[in-house]
Parts: sequence; structure tokens; C-alpha cells
Amino acid sequence: MIKDIDFILNGKKVTIKVNPLSRLLDVLRDNLNCKDVKEGCSEGECGACSVLLDDRIVTSCLIPIGAVQNHEIKTSNYVTSTEKGKIIAEAFADGGAVQCGFCIPGMIIAAYDLLSRNSNPTEEEIRLGISGNICRCTGYDLIVSSIRLAVERGGDIWKK
Amino acid sequence: MEKIDCYIPETLQEALEILHREDVIILAGGSDLMVFHKNEPSLIPEFEKSVMIIRNLNELKGIRINSNGECEIGALCTSNEIAESTIVPWHLRQAASRMGAVGLRNSATIGGNIANASPKGDMPGPLYLLDARVKLTSLNGSREMLVSDFIIKFKSIDLKKDELITKIIIPYSERDFDYIFWHKVGTRKSNAISKITVGMALKFAEDEIVKDFRLSATSTGAKTNRNRDVENLLIGSKITEENISRVIEAFDQVISPRAMPVFRRESTKRMIRRFLSQCLLHPESRVIDTYDSYYVPGSPKPVFNI
Amino acid sequence: MDINDISTAVRRVDALEKCSGTAKYVSDYDFNDCLWSKMIRSSIPRGIIKNIRIPTLPDGYFWVDYKDIPKGGKNYLHMIATDWKCFAEHDVRYTGETIALLCGPDKKILEDLYKQVEIEYEELEPAVTIDEGLNCKGGAFVNDNNIHCHLKLQVGDVDSAFKKADRIVTETIETGFQEHVYLETNGACCKIENNKYVFYVSAQCPFYIRKSIAPLLNISPDEIIVKQTVTGGAFGGKEHFPDVLCGPLLVAVHKIGKGVKLFFTREEDMENSVKRHPSKVVFKTGLDKNGNILAMESKVYYNAGGYLSSSFVVLQRGCFHVSGCYEFPNFSSEGFGVATNTFPSCAFRGFGAPQTLFAIETHMCHLAEMQGLDPLEFKKRYFIKKGGITSTNGKVVEDVKIPEMLNQVLKTSDYKRKVKQYALGSGKGIGISFYNHGGAFTGNGEQAIIKAKCKLKKYSNGKVEILCGQTEMGQGFKTILPKIAAKVLNIPLIDVIYNNPDTSKVPDSGPTAASRSTMIVGKLVEKAALLMKERFNKEKEFEVETSYEHPEGYDWDQENFQGYAYLGYGWGVCVVEVEVDPCTGEVTTKGIWSSHDAGHLIDEKIVHGQVNGGVIQGIGWASTEVMENINGYFKQKSMSDYIIPTSMDYPSQYVDFVENPYKWGPFGAKGMGELVFNGSGAAYIDALSRAIGKRISSIPCPTEKVMEYMLNGKDIKDSLNICR
Repeated sequence: MIKDIDFILNGKKVTIKVNPLSRLLDVLRDNLNCKDVKEGCSEGECGACSVLLDDRIVTSCLIPIGAVQNHEIKTSNYVTSTEKGKIIAEAFADGGAVQCGFCIPGMIIAAYDLLSRNSNPTEEEIRLGISGNICRCTGYDLIVSSIRLAVERGGDIWKK
Repeated sequence: MEKIDCYIPETLQEALEILHREDVIILAGGSDLMVFHKNEPSLIPEFEKSVMIIRNLNELKGIRINSNGECEIGALCTSNEIAESTIVPWHLRQAASRMGAVGLRNSATIGGNIANASPKGDMPGPLYLLDARVKLTSLNGSREMLVSDFIIKFKSIDLKKDELITKIIIPYSERDFDYIFWHKVGTRKSNAISKITVGMALKFAEDEIVKDFRLSATSTGAKTNRNRDVENLLIGSKITEENISRVIEAFDQVISPRAMPVFRRESTKRMIRRFLSQCLLHPESRVIDTYDSYYVPGSPKPVFNI
Repeated sequence: MDINDISTAVRRVDALEKCSGTAKYVSDYDFNDCLWSKMIRSSIPRGIIKNIRIPTLPDGYFWVDYKDIPKGGKNYLHMIATDWKCFAEHDVRYTGETIALLCGPDKKILEDLYKQVEIEYEELEPAVTIDEGLNCKGGAFVNDNNIHCHLKLQVGDVDSAFKKADRIVTETIETGFQEHVYLETNGACCKIENNKYVFYVSAQCPFYIRKSIAPLLNISPDEIIVKQTVTGGAFGGKEHFPDVLCGPLLVAVHKIGKGVKLFFTREEDMENSVKRHPSKVVFKTGLDKNGNILAMESKVYYNAGGYLSSSFVVLQRGCFHVSGCYEFPNFSSEGFGVATNTFPSCAFRGFGAPQTLFAIETHMCHLAEMQGLDPLEFKKRYFIKKGGITSTNGKVVEDVKIPEMLNQVLKTSDYKRKVKQYALGSGKGIGISFYNHGGAFTGNGEQAIIKAKCKLKKYSNGKVEILCGQTEMGQGFKTILPKIAAKVLNIPLIDVIYNNPDTSKVPDSGPTAASRSTMIVGKLVEKAALLMKERFNKEKEFEVETSYEHPEGYDWDQENFQGYAYLGYGWGVCVVEVEVDPCTGEVTTKGIWSSHDAGHLIDEKIVHGQVNGGVIQGIGWASTEVMENINGYFKQKSMSDYIIPTSMDYPSQYVDFVENPYKWGPFGAKGMGELVFNGSGAAYIDALSRAIGKRISSIPCPTEKVMEYMLNGKDIKDSLNICR
């Protein structure tokens, strides 16, 4: 059972022929070569496969591609090429947020999702915002402070 | 293997027609079903029959207060939408705000959480507590029933083949009570499955008499527990040490936790005792928690102004 | 970026590619020309394979098992010991033991075939726990006593001292399994390129893999090339374990003549991978009239699982560290690696040291509390100093800066005020722990066994390449090593090239393990860079090579485990404050303060990140990370069952260091990647037991156990068992 699914991926319209029950994660990685989306747990628990669906964070391992019909998906590779995403990535790099890096694309999505809804989060709000993204390396402290760094560096840009 | 099909209706009418003629698995947010049916990476999830994806049915979204003053929540509202809405009763917002991971809360729906009928589910507790009803719709019309009746037992619901959960209607909110309590003990501070969750609400009448008292507990048996006989032990009486003990002992008979029984029974007892003995003191804060400095960051604030 | 002070943080060289997601982990490669594979494993913990029903395989699909090992090849994986089989033959010793590899081009068909495989066993009764192993439940299957390995150490004369003791108390401390949960699960691909077997693999130790699997085909390790791919976390779980994937892949590729890839799902990885050794330490401590320790005896039992593999070395480290940061007048330790029918236990950050350090710290707290003493004041009496005698009758070579570190954490945590303010059992508690970690391989192992080599190559364009086998797995080595070279050579960091190792291109500089990389290989790079510096402007293109030399005068007897076990220790002090919910037993961590001695820091930010991650991993181990093995099966199979910390579980840490340059390390640096794990669990449990006023002697201690202690636990002030 193959269907045409249309959606916007990283700013571009795509149409793919695929089983609509395929996981968004698999379609992104296998059919559309978005290897920046990582598979960590396969059950929506770790956040490594996070992407933005209509600008809200979702775990792509839980979404059948059929549900994405006519919606918009953004992955970390695209997000980090935008003005806001660049600020987050640079802050992550300078702030020591990145260790093994496997959780980081998802973590960037979580940070972006948070900052687009809250332009000046407190430490507590940051911790809450990334609480669905599990990192085994950092203990989170330097990720949290890197997001604060992104807030300070970005200034008014987060209000846009 | 028989042919597995996948339907993606664009309207409620279309969805109901599909349900009328086909035997399908209804997939809302996918947060439970996609895990349950997961396959090896890169392989299509394995469903035993055809699937209908309803995630994007706009008619089943939105939250409003109806003409009776009840909160009506579309079955496809996500946990985050519920947690962020100030018109949703506080107990339910609490439950929604601490359900799973942030990303999952943008997928998981209230309808799906009820239909999943897991004794560890986050939504049923508050819905039992507040006498919430589900609205079930088919081509032949609609019916409503209490969520607590709709969930029959572990993983079993009273849904006919051609019916869809379309709405959840909640007649009570924190405004109807003087004191409220909701506490989830998760496996960790966030992104957690419930080890035990207890919800309570109490209203006084004149002269310290309890006018209304409600108590629900999840992860304490095959389904969410609420028992009106236990609540009636207190309603119409004053809160006394003796009454508190009677409620505690009676509720202990109601619950039947299999794993971690000592912990689940003892913490349930302690939470009930804590709530009722605090109510007795008429503290200024109408939200009562397990101890004074307890605070869950990011938890929703109640709305009491009427 | 120029490097002024070596400690000043620089941006990690691999940070941005990891942010954008362009860093290529092994599952991100195409490997389109390679077959998929599924591992066929034992579904029972102990038994004899009676019959295997293999479904009819379509063309292009292959079943690979021990029979495919060519003549002259040996069916084992060389992981220190050589007892762990690559493929089970007759019997199985644990659930998840590899029986075969099923390979083929279509993943779906492979999956269907996999489901049709039927294996008949004659089931035998498994021994799962340490006690069941020791009692030879179901009959011994290793030697005649299920003891894989054993050692005994003594300082002074414990038995004579016990005779003088006023009383002798005993206590048993236990720790559980811990799963690594590297975010990237295990994966590997083996292909034939230019007539060699080439592996792409997520791994810590590329040279270990070659050595481990070459005997399967009876070939030279040089016939195998291992290319490390970007590795998404390891923590010891990818030290030897990738051999378990690579061995069967090698045999499969040999048989089929085509590339084969193997990737584990999370569930598969959790159920069928190595874990931290569960432990049981039994102390017998003799006290004088004033409560001073005259002698201590410790018996250390580690659950090693079905095969010995690396467990003896883990057990040795456990026994070397069981005296903690203390010097006791008479001390003995005896270690037992117990054979059980569980997945073989293996390396995990700390490599045997965390278990015994948790045990000694917790025992010391209990010795203090039963006497009504503050644990800190009691522990202070025994701190080891420079020149102090270690558990192996060696001496501590370096200054021990525990007093300075202690001062730092006392000040930042306000420990003393809080101890006074929070009564035992008040729901609030603060705890403290002291710990160390011997850097690098034990004794003269670096010279006798590892023989690390490292090369530096200068190109005519002025760039310099580091050639060694050390891997980046998140700990920052890809930045650390170039930083050392750049600093010595006084060239920009960007001019130093350091690629993921390819064993055909780099010399063997030893494993990335044992907190040795910075200390040992970092020093080799520093030395090479100094040699290069002299010729840098004179010659356009040249290479220098350095190899490890053990300093003279610090002898080690590996037969009897006597002498200088470690030349440099990392040291740590950690304070944790908690609050316990009286209704539910939930624990909220209110503060974490630590100070560490890692010599002179190579990069403050990288070290800071290591502290943060290690400390949290250590508290996770002590609190929520429950991994049960029920009748030979791991119960926690997914990331929703096995509970590792999220960003909400612990507050931001207060991190401090002391400066204590290490004579033989690059710029004075010492190892610290494992150190930072070793003590936080004990500090957390100290705080928790004070908060609830109950003695806690086993971990993990999740909420439900806290409640059980609150209800039925022994009072913290009760005396330990008196045996005389």
C-alpha cells in the first residue's frame, strides 16, 4: 500500500511515494537522506529523533508519515542554517554543550522550540524545555548554560 | 497476510463512514500505537489490521466552555494543548503537563490516552475525579458516558466498532472545591511513567462539614481507582482523626497494586492523610501538596476566581 | 585559535558538525552493497542446544555459525581472557549468547526468516546472583566452584590486629547492574576492501577489535583494518563489547565474500550487552576502645557473568581501590570473580573501582554514625597522604590535596552549618564522599603490555597530523590531543589534523580506556611535539615517533599484585544535599558540590563537562537506575523502563578543582574521566540515609526502596553487626 505524501521539508515541498504507516523517522533518514535525525530509543523516550512539526517539537519515531500530509517538517540540519539556529549551534559549541553529540540534533530542536515560545527562559524553564531530550554525557549543565548563552547572544531576535 | 490499508480521512464525516464500513485501528497521536506496533528500524510498523490516521481531523480539536459551564475538550487535543490552556480544570492540566516527554506531549492526545486504558495512563485519574464524560459518535448518532464507565478494565473500553471518541466533557473544575491535590510520583522528575498518582479535591459546607470529597489513584490496580463509598465516609461529616483513618483504610481495600505494593499502599495512605489533615487547618493555599516545600517546576497554576 | 593557557577552554573541533547533524555515525553510512544481518541468540540463560531448525533460506541469504570458522581458526573473542566464545557451540551460558548470524539483502525477508528460526534446548537451572553463583546453583560450570578469578592482598597483619580489637563489626554493601545507555546503540559493518577485512564501527578501541577477532580466521591482525566512526557515547560499553559484533561479522564476510552490517536496536542493545558488575563487599572491621579502626578485612565479590573475559582486571582494580582514600594500619582485601548465568559483565566508567569505593565510603559512614560521630570527622582520621602505603604495599607518589579540596566544598556547600541544622531523619540531609582513581593501566602494564606508540607527522603545508589509536567518544579527546600538540608547537589548533583512527594508518597507542589517554598518550604527543619543534622550521615534511617509558624506581609485581599500582591518582570530594518527601519517599537533590584533582587541566570546559556527566551518572547508578536480572533475563529493556537522569532530576552543579601538576603527564595533567563517576553515589546515599535517619547499604535506591527504608529500615545510629 503505497501513497503519495506531500509535505514541506526544510522549506521545500516534497512528494514521496511511501507506505503512510512508515515512521516519519525512517522516511526522513532512508528516503530523504536526513541523517541528522537520530534514532536513540524507538519509543519517544529519548528525544534524539526530534524534529519540528509545524514549528513544534515532536519525536519522529512516533509519527506515521501519513499524518504529516500537507504539514511542515524541519530538521536540525536546516534549523542550524537559519539565523536563530546558527546562534544556538554556536552557543552549544562555545558553551561546551556537545560531547558525544548523538543527542545534540534533537537537543537543538528542543532549544529552538523553547526559545520560539519563550524568548527569555529561566534556568528552570530551560531544564523543563529540554526535559524530553536525554543526554548521557553532559549531565545537562553546560547544555542549559549554552541555551542561556544563546538567549543573551540573540537578544531581540528571539522575540521575532 | 490480509491486506493492510491506511486511511487518512480529512473530515469527521469521512472518518465515521470509514468506521461504518471497515474494521480499523484508530490512530490519533500515535504515541502508544506506534510503540506497540514498532518494527525494526526502516521497516513498516506491523499492524494486524487496517489503520485510520485521524491525527489531523480539525473537528476533533479545540477546547471551549459550553453553555452549561462545562469544559469541552476535543478528543485530538494534545497533552501540551491541554497543559497550556487556562480553561482546562487544574487536575487535568497537571496530569497533561507531566505526561511523558515534551515532544511526545505534542503528539499524545487525550482521546488516545483514554482509549489506551492503561492503569498507568496520566489522563484518566483527573477525569475520574471530575466526573468527566466521553462523547462517542458514529454515523448513527452520539452517546455520552462517564470516562470511569467507558474504561471497563485493563486495556478494555466500551467503544463500538463504528464509534469514535469525539469529545471529553468535564463538569467540575478547581473552582468547585476549597482544596485540591494532585501528585504524581514518577520514575523520575520528568519524562516519567507514573509509579503512583493520587488526585483529591474537597469542599466544605457550613460548620466544617465536608460537602464534597473526591479521591482517585492511578497505577494501583487494573484500572484507575475511584470509589464513591469511600468518599461518602467523609461527605456529610467533619474531618476527624478517626474519619481520616476510616477513609485511608477503606481506600486501601479498594486498591490492588501488584508491583511495589508496600510503597504504593503506604504512599497513598500518607498522601490522603496529608491532604485531609491540611484541609482541616484551612491553610491559605488551596493547593495542597505532599509537603510544604514541594514544588514541581513548570507545573500549572490553578484558577480559583469565579 | 591560538592557545595561550592550555587550560583555557577552546571550542571543540567536532562541536558544530554534531550540532548540524552532519557528523557521520555508523548507522548514517550507506553501506548499500552490504547485507543486513540479525543476531541469533540464546533465549535461555543456561542449557544445551539440542537442535536448531533453520528455515529454508532463499538465494543470497546465509546462516553463519561456529561451523563456518575455518580450519585453524579459534572460536573465541580475545578480551583479555580468551574464554568468551564468538558463537555458542554446544551449551549456552547466558541469555543473549550469540549462536549465529543470519545475513541477507532484504531486511524484511531477513526479519521474517529470523522469526522462523527454532532452537530446542535442554534447559539447566541458572545461577543468577552472586550468592547463587557461589552456591553453585544448578551445578558449577566454571572450575568446581564458579570462581572465575581470585586475588588476595594484605597490608600489615589483620588477624593479629583483630586479636587486639575491642570489638569487631561486619557489614555487607551491595551494588547492582548498571547499563551504559550510550545514546548511539552498537553497530558495525565489515567489508572487503583491497583484499582486507575493513570494519566501520562505533568503538572505543579499534586495535582491541583486530587482536580479538583475528584468531577466528587464524589471520594476522594486519589483515583486518578497523576504522572508528563517530561514536555516540561509550562509557566502557564499547571497549570490548564491539568484538561481540565484529567477530561474527568477520566470519560471515569470510564465508559470504560480501560486506555485512549489523545494527542493534535499543531493546536488543539493552537486553544483550555488557553491564557494570554487580558487587557485594563484606567488611569485617576491628575497632579499639575509642572507636578507632585497628584493622579492616574486605571480601569483594563481583558478578562476572558467563565468561571471564575482562573481569579479572576489573576485579583487581576493585580490590586496589577498596581502601578508598584511606590508610589503615592493617588492611586486607580478597576478590572473587563469580561465574553466573548472566550476560558477561565488562568495563563501565570506573572499571571496578566505583563499587568498592561506594562500599568503603558507605561502611565508613556507618562506622561513624553508630558511634554518634560525624562521618566527615571520622573519615578525616584516616586520609592517606603522600608516601602513604596503598592496598598493594606501594606508596602514594604525589601530593594528596584532599584537605584543600575539602575546604573548597565545605565552603561552597555550607556543609557544617547544614549538618548541624538538619537533624537525622528530618527529611533533609547532606552527605560527603572521598574517592580516587588510579590513572592508566595498573603497575608497569603500560610498558609491559600496552607499549603505546604515537606519531606526529609534519606536512610541507605546515600542517601537523597526530597518528595514534585514541578515539573520541564524547570525552573530548579529539580536541585535547591537538590542543597539546598545537600548544607545544605554537601553531594554531586548526593546523593540527587528528582523524578518527584507522588501524592501517596509525600506530597502536593502546585502548581509549582506563583514564589513560590524556595522561599517557597526551604525554607521548607532548614529547613528540617537543621533538618536532626542534626540527619544525628546518624540515618540510617529516615524522617523529615516541613510545611509553615507565619511570624507574616504581616497581610492580603483577604475579602478586605488589608495589606501585598507580603513579598518579585523580582525587575527588563530593557533597550532595537532598530533601525527601515524607509522603512518598521521593528524593529531590538540592545541591551538588565537588572538587577534583586532575593535575593541571588541559581544557577547563571539557573537564567541567566530564565532572557534570560523571557525577550525574554516579547518582543515577545509586538512585533510579534499576536493572534487574530475573531468572537470567534482564527485566529493563527500554529507555522507559531503565531510568537514567533527565535535565529535571538534578540541579546545576558547583564544580571546583585543585591545581596539582602531575610529573609525568602532559602539562601536568592526569586522568579524570572515570574519577568523576567514582564518588557521587556514595555522597548521595550518605545524604539520603541521614535525611531519613536509616542505614542504607545497597544501591540502587529508587523511590519505592526509600519508602521501604522509611518504614522498616534500621536506624542509622544502630550498631553494625558485632561478631566479637
